[in-house]
Amino acid sequence: MPTILVLDDSATMVMSLSHILKGAGYDVETGMNGREGITKLNDGVKPSVILTDLNMPELDGIGFIKEARKIASTRFTPIIVLTTESGGRKRDEARAAGASGWLTKPAEPNQLLSVVKQLCPAR
Amino acid sequence: MSETAESNERLVCAILAEQVAALRDRMDANAAFDLLWRTSALLSWLSGLLSDSSHNAPHANPVLDRERAEAITEIAEIRHALDELAFLQAQRQDFAKQIADCVVIALEQMAVAEMPPGTSFSSADLAALYVSDEQRKLHEAVVRRLQG
Repeated sequence: MPTILVLDDSATMVMSLSHILKGAGYDVETGMNGREGITKLNDGVKPSVILTDLNMPELDGIGFIKEARKIASTRFTPIIVLTTESGGRKRDEARAAGASGWLTKPAEPNQLLSVVKQLCPAR
Repeated sequence: MSETAESNERLVCAILAEQVAALRDRMDANAAFDLLWRTSALLSWLSGLLSDSSHNAPHANPVLDRERAEAITEIAEIRHALDELAFLQAQRQDFAKQIADCVVIALEQMAVAEMPPGTSFSSADLAALYVSDEQRKLHEAVVRRLQG
């Protein structure tokens, strides 16, 4: 099964995203901030898609994307930003850091799954 | 403002910051979400059982077959609605938590006694803490209302 890495500092969001993605046939790895995400990648987790929040403690979403793009195995992995921020400046910043797409909260489960499935169909 | 009034205000800000922080910390790991996901998972399991029983005894009873099919469809609809509700609620809760975070940081900064005399926590300082456009729009609307 393809793996999705989910990063969000809200435990409820992490659980909710995991539930939806697992229900659609994906394996899910999670982290509560960008630093935990980088640790997972360095530990050998090879996600097919990464979903990340922007505003997180320790290492935020933008910082995470920059770091992840330096790791050979995730240089080209699709990274979708899922955040309450809908502003152009933040979006540009995320794109410049290497984000592949953007979903503004509140998003519907179908919206989320349609983006993830386009990037990586569940088996 | 007199020194006593200022120190009272700081004390009130510090207490309010603690109270909002306590409220914010209770916003995660809500039992209601757990129940929603468990119900959804249970429905998925029941739907699988109904489907299996239908495959194991095909056409044994056409009325029962039809009812099983209707139940599977109904379960799928309810499960979809539960998942959607839980996901939207989780996002709303996340947003409320971020607003609470912002209030806590602002109150903590207003409670700090080391600000130079004559300076105070401004609305621009507050705006710098925002993490969503929704907060910025609300901020602008309040500023417009109070200044207009």
